[in-house]
Amino acid sequence: MQPVVQFKNVNKFYGTQAAVEDLDLAIDAGQFVTLLGPSGCGKSTTLRMLGGFEDPTSGEIYLDGKPISHLPPNRRNVNIVFQDYALFPHLSVMRNIAFGLELKGLAQDAIHRRVTELLSLVSLADYAERMPAQLSGGQRQRVALMRALAPDPNVLLLDEPLSALDAKLRQQMQIELKSIQQKTGKTFLFVTHDQEEALTMSDVIVVMNKGRIEQMGGPDELYARPRSRFVADFIGRSNFIEGKVVSVSGNIASLDWQGNIIHADVNGTSPATDKVVTVALRPEALYCLTEKPEGRLALKGRITGRVFKGAHTSLTVTLENGTSLLVQLDPVALSHIDGDDVWIGWRERDAVLLAD
Amino acid sequence: MKTYFNDLPKTALGASYWLFAVYLVLPLSLMMVMSLKDANFIAFPINSWTLDWYAKVLQDRQFINASLYSIGIALATTVCATIIGVWIALLISAENIWGKAAIFALACLPAVVPGLINAISMRIFIRALDIPTGTFAIVLAHTVHAVPFVVIMVLTRLRSMPANLVDAARDLGADPFIAFLRVTIPYLMPALIGGMIFCVLTSIDDFVRTFFLGGYQPTLPMLIFAKVQGGMSPEINAMATIVLIVTTIVGLYAEYFTRRSRS
Repeated sequence: MQPVVQFKNVNKFYGTQAAVEDLDLAIDAGQFVTLLGPSGCGKSTTLRMLGGFEDPTSGEIYLDGKPISHLPPNRRNVNIVFQDYALFPHLSVMRNIAFGLELKGLAQDAIHRRVTELLSLVSLADYAERMPAQLSGGQRQRVALMRALAPDPNVLLLDEPLSALDAKLRQQMQIELKSIQQKTGKTFLFVTHDQEEALTMSDVIVVMNKGRIEQMGGPDELYARPRSRFVADFIGRSNFIEGKVVSVSGNIASLDWQGNIIHADVNGTSPATDKVVTVALRPEALYCLTEKPEGRLALKGRITGRVFKGAHTSLTVTLENGTSLLVQLDPVALSHIDGDDVWIGWRERDAVLLAD
Repeated sequence: MKTYFNDLPKTALGASYWLFAVYLVLPLSLMMVMSLKDANFIAFPINSWTLDWYAKVLQDRQFINASLYSIGIALATTVCATIIGVWIALLISAENIWGKAAIFALACLPAVVPGLINAISMRIFIRALDIPTGTFAIVLAHTVHAVPFVVIMVLTRLRSMPANLVDAARDLGADPFIAFLRVTIPYLMPALIGGMIFCVLTSIDDFVRTFFLGGYQPTLPMLIFAKVQGGMSPEINAMATIVLIVTTIVGLYAEYFTRRSRS
């Protein structure tokens, strides 16, 4: 199947400063794709290039197989939900949503039908005659979304649209966005710096850093199998340990870590013997026991810090070899621990080798 | 007594405000009262009242013609000043325009140049270009004077306009011109209405520029000036009262409109 959107070798420079470098990205129809990264990583520039508000310095962008880099925004069949909504303050909710349809030259009754249908999709049918200033933040958000969806774009672009909402409303809107995406079957390209937002909604997450794609994949894949230190650190939290490769058998590498032999998943890399590599360990993948277990990895350590987080507790455990690991325990696991002396370990597939 | 003492500054403030209001309104009221006097000279006491002066004014062809002439000049001025003013404001608000500050200073200059200097220089200017005195010359001078006010009002409004409103319109399929017409202009409307009414009022009010550049046909201020020179009479009071009432209504409506569209 042909991708809806394709970036081919796209570069964007501001002067000598690279905002986006060697971007190759294909987005399949009907997917919820998220560009995730810290501010300045090039995700918004990528979105604005697709919308037509920035010109690529080189390379080409394809929409439905046709090159569009030379087209102005009004001649591209993509629509943006702007960060601060950008609703037209002088037009009612109805007229705001109708804006794109009117410019397409649709008949009045067809426009009316379409707007009514869209408003009922987000339960705003009673608000058609309201002005944007009379709406709450969440309602404005929905109107902006429907205005962008109304002209039936090939791709809907969302530029951090939830960042202005409070935490509770943001979670609610995440679920609503996802359900609207599934109901309409539209391709959504969502930009955010919030990893939780990305994990909640996306089919595919594209992690960007310094103008380049770090890794691309499903949320579970990115979380469980981060390829780089940046991804492992940006999505969730990770312990990083460095060890020297002793041997590799199949998917499992044996490492020498400060005198202990530990095992880790090679995670798609092919490490050479005696090379020093980094392993990422999720705090919640570590087990923590008061007795030394039989036949499993166990390293002796001492709890040196506790932070209560409600649903879980974060422990800092300092091992005999001098390194500290972050361990996350749920209340049940925590209740089995009395005293500060513990044994720490992990399943070998939960430790993943990083490429850098 | 203590509370009274504490309230004193407030009382003084209130009192001085009311004193100022009286000072503002008293001469105007006196003028209006005298326009109703049934006698030929302006002085107390008033023994009988009449509306005859108003009837006379409204039947006065000279007055009607001068009013229409003034309004015509004001409307022409407003159209020219609004178009030029909006254009300059857009130019200044656009990014990456070289010499932005210079353009702004130049556009605002006529607002601070004394009317007399402005009038004399204009007179010399049109003489040099062989433009006759009269309607065209008056409109030219009034426009130059009115442009800065339009520029400042429109620019203020433009600066509060979210940058991505136009982006949103473009994104939804509008070309630059449609986006300007359907998003920028409606957003600017309060400033435009305010600026236009300001143009009308300054143009109608202007005496000095008109005096230097006018032809044989008198505008309203010129007519009143000519009449005053022939001696004060309640008829002039009646004229002035009509002008006062009409301009007040227009001014208040402008204020009301700007407020309404702001909320």
